[in-house]
Amino acid sequence: MIRIEQLTKVFPNPDGTEKIAVDHVDFEVRPGEIYGLLGPNGAGKTTTLRMISGLLRPTAGAVWIDGTNVTAEPELVKRQIGYLTANTGLYVRLTPREMLEYFATLYDIPREAARRRIEALVSWLGMESYVNLRCGALSTGQKQRTNIARALIADPPILVLDEPTLGLDVLSNRIILEFIRTQAEQGKAVLLSTHALDEIETMCKRIGLIHDGRLVAEGELEDLRKQTGRSRLSEVFLQLVGAAESVFAG
Amino acid sequence: MSRLSRINTIWRKELIDTLRDRRTLIAMILVPIVLYPAMILGSLQGFELQVSRLRQEEYRVGVMSESVRSWLRHMIDTDPARQPGAQPEMSAEELAKKGKEGELAGDEEDATRDESPTDAARESVRATPPEYRIEIVSDPELLAKQVLEGELHAGVVLGGPPPSAAGDASAPITLLLDQTEIRSQMAVAGLGGVFERADSELLRQRLRRENLADTFVRPIDVVQETVATPEKVGGSILGQIVPLILIIMTITGAIYPAIDLTAGERERGTLETLMVAPVPTVDLIAGKFVVVALIGMLSAGLNLLSIGGTIYLGGLGQILTQQSAVVIPLKALPWVLVVLVPLAIMFSAVLLAVCSFARSFKEAQNYVMPVMVAALIPAVVGALPGMKLSGPLLIMPVTNIVILTRDLFTGQGSTVNILWVTLSTTIYAGAAVAVAAKLFGQEAVLFADSGSIKTIFQRRFFKPARWPNVAQAFLLIAAVFSANFFIQQALLAKPGVLGTMWYWGGLTAVIFGLFVGAPLALCLYARVNIKETFALRLPPLGGWIAALCFGSSVWILSQVWLSFQETWLPIPREYEQAFGEMLGVLDQINPLVVVFFVALVPAIGEELFFRGFALQGLRGSLGVIFAILIVAVAFGANHHSIHRLAVTAGLGVLFGVLVIRFGSIYPAMLAHLLNNGLAVLSGRSDALQPVLERLGYVVGDGGYPPVAWVLGALGLTLIGVLICMFGRRSPDGPLREPEPI
Repeated sequence: MIRIEQLTKVFPNPDGTEKIAVDHVDFEVRPGEIYGLLGPNGAGKTTTLRMISGLLRPTAGAVWIDGTNVTAEPELVKRQIGYLTANTGLYVRLTPREMLEYFATLYDIPREAARRRIEALVSWLGMESYVNLRCGALSTGQKQRTNIARALIADPPILVLDEPTLGLDVLSNRIILEFIRTQAEQGKAVLLSTHALDEIETMCKRIGLIHDGRLVAEGELEDLRKQTGRSRLSEVFLQLVGAAESVFAG
Repeated sequence: MSRLSRINTIWRKELIDTLRDRRTLIAMILVPIVLYPAMILGSLQGFELQVSRLRQEEYRVGVMSESVRSWLRHMIDTDPARQPGAQPEMSAEELAKKGKEGELAGDEEDATRDESPTDAARESVRATPPEYRIEIVSDPELLAKQVLEGELHAGVVLGGPPPSAAGDASAPITLLLDQTEIRSQMAVAGLGGVFERADSELLRQRLRRENLADTFVRPIDVVQETVATPEKVGGSILGQIVPLILIIMTITGAIYPAIDLTAGERERGTLETLMVAPVPTVDLIAGKFVVVALIGMLSAGLNLLSIGGTIYLGGLGQILTQQSAVVIPLKALPWVLVVLVPLAIMFSAVLLAVCSFARSFKEAQNYVMPVMVAALIPAVVGALPGMKLSGPLLIMPVTNIVILTRDLFTGQGSTVNILWVTLSTTIYAGAAVAVAAKLFGQEAVLFADSGSIKTIFQRRFFKPARWPNVAQAFLLIAAVFSANFFIQQALLAKPGVLGTMWYWGGLTAVIFGLFVGAPLALCLYARVNIKETFALRLPPLGGWIAALCFGSSVWILSQVWLSFQETWLPIPREYEQAFGEMLGVLDQINPLVVVFFVALVPAIGEELFFRGFALQGLRGSLGVIFAILIVAVAFGANHHSIHRLAVTAGLGVLFGVLVIRFGSIYPAMLAHLLNNGLAVLSGRSDALQPVLERLGYVVGDGGYPPVAWVLGALGLTLIGVLICMFGRRSPDGPLREPEPI
């Protein structure tokens, strides 16, 4: 389970000013749940996900993964998390199989178990045809599937996904979303950040809306619809963001 | 997974990744195997072509009268060098060689001049004059003008009657040339050769006329004869060339992998992928460092083999060595490998540190250029003639490697110097790797949107930390090591200062300034907790007892080790003399004052730095065992004696264990104080010596203490070790602070 308490990140600027990227954010993601994190560009979603994954150190507040503080035990926590973004690159001169074997070793997975895990992931994600080709020669969809396999190599109980379907074709998109849903059904806690509102609508029961680093709304989709009186998620989104802007401006 | 097997996994993956990179392959294999031989052989052919072209040309020469023209024509046509079979045409290679040996007629004084294609071509026409067309230009100003404008290649002005064997006078001949024109130079060189040979012949005839021997005009005939073996000459020449080639090749080979594995990884987006894996940044950088160093070594090795092969097999050896009695010493080649290791370690570490700071490939390339220039400056200093590997140069980065290489090639390298160079290079490289690890994981470097890189060094952006980080620790270890070395050398260089109060005062100032002041300042700037860093807390009783055990016994064991070591690594006489001198001076000083300077000051200062700042800084990232060992070696190295290194490093391990086990600096200070104090006072007749002698402590043959004392000391040390193992630990001792991500 992911629990975030008063999570804050401040980036220093060289001119002495500071940029508050994430401002006292609280939410939690439960096992078996796909939690959608929504927000306009530059709202602080990616920074939040990076702090959860141990890539950035919070300025204040804490991230707890199954009761362990990320800042105190980053390596322990990293074993529990499968982290994936649209921008995470692959080693272009390695094949997907070599790359998965490499990460399996970094995650201390015994050789035989790693081999079985890789075969299973290759089969689930339909990677058989290109698992032995160099990553540099793969299409965007194939790369993203390889990346998913990499994120899942240690079978982590928590998935942190930042725009996992960005730039993918319909087929790859469907495979990946199906895969995410299956993972949640298996009891994993999934934190999904995306701009694709239809994905949020079909995949998530609860969402958090982040704007200017603050969590401006959070709850079940139905409750938010009732709260705003709108049925379409895009309208709900715009209304909540607009309300937040007027509050902050005022 | 253990740290070593993790680093092993990382470097193997990085090596495969790097070897599949076309750019690395080009820099590492294609350039040495194809480009260098092609370049060298191509330039040789171009050189020969140019020489042959210039010697086949017809040169136009101006004279001022018909009589001079006839005389000059006669001189050229009767020149012995132009007679059939007189002087066989030489290859460029032979010409270059002969030019150096001064074997060409009338060119003895040029024997040591550097060779170039132009020089060789000049020597060629001097030896065998080309064809000349002689024209008459009666006006001297017009003659000069035509030479200047290139209508004529040279002018010959005869300032009197033509020279003859019958007369006694000297005929002044002025050769006009345009020095900026190669053809003008060639024309004059050819004429010079003609006149030199004519001059010799006329002189010989005049001497014969007077019934004098040729030796009449040469009362002293100096001949230089080298006693150096051809191998030594070859080694000396290679020793000057090889280090510079190695430095350039190591850097060239290591640049691409260094950039690719750091900035390149960031640019391709794989760094984020890697950083989410549960692996400490230090391990990632260590794995990358192994690959960069390996590629650097491979590349330099291949380059050297390729160049060596081309020179050896392509017949260029003589041109390169410029002397005939030269043998390239193949047995010196293993030394190249010895020198390659510190070189590759040094540059790989520095390149990684520099590239870790860059966010993109292009940015890294910009950073790398100054590194190359900076590396070449100390390299050139080391290559200066007459540089000796002693004093500060022993630990001067890069310079020491260059001088050591030359010494190794001429068979003058000593084990002590190799150890010094290796030790100092390892310390500098360690600091560079630590800095690389720190920069590599920095948020501002990792993500472009995570603030400016400048903020990494600004105080207000430092978060309060319990201990210094590994980069701060390594950097200060390296800085203190070299500063301490230089200052001590400067102190000792002053005659008569040894042992005076000035000396001791200076030493105390150094210890407190460097070992206490520097880390304290860094802690204050970087907001590091001073109490935690220097482990300023009271230890449990066991700590004090263990310290007493170590402090009262280890000085005896050190004596045993030093006596044993003397049998296979004897202390050089000069060192022993200097040490004896110092002890002699110490004997004049009150024992309490000696204890103050030799035991109390180091016990406080060195412990605060090594077991405080350095050990606490390294333990978080490297684990306590590695941290204790590295700090112990650094502590030993700071005593500036290879002969005492094992003993001081061994002491460092014990002091380190005390601090880690009991979470306090004070037991280490006590043990250090006792050890140094007892070691000094035990040999003084006005202090402990009479007491110890009464108790049976008499140093026997070979410097060994009595067996009973050695056994007693061993027992005490063992008790100390047991207390460390089973005694009550400090509650704060074994805690580990997570490294910032």
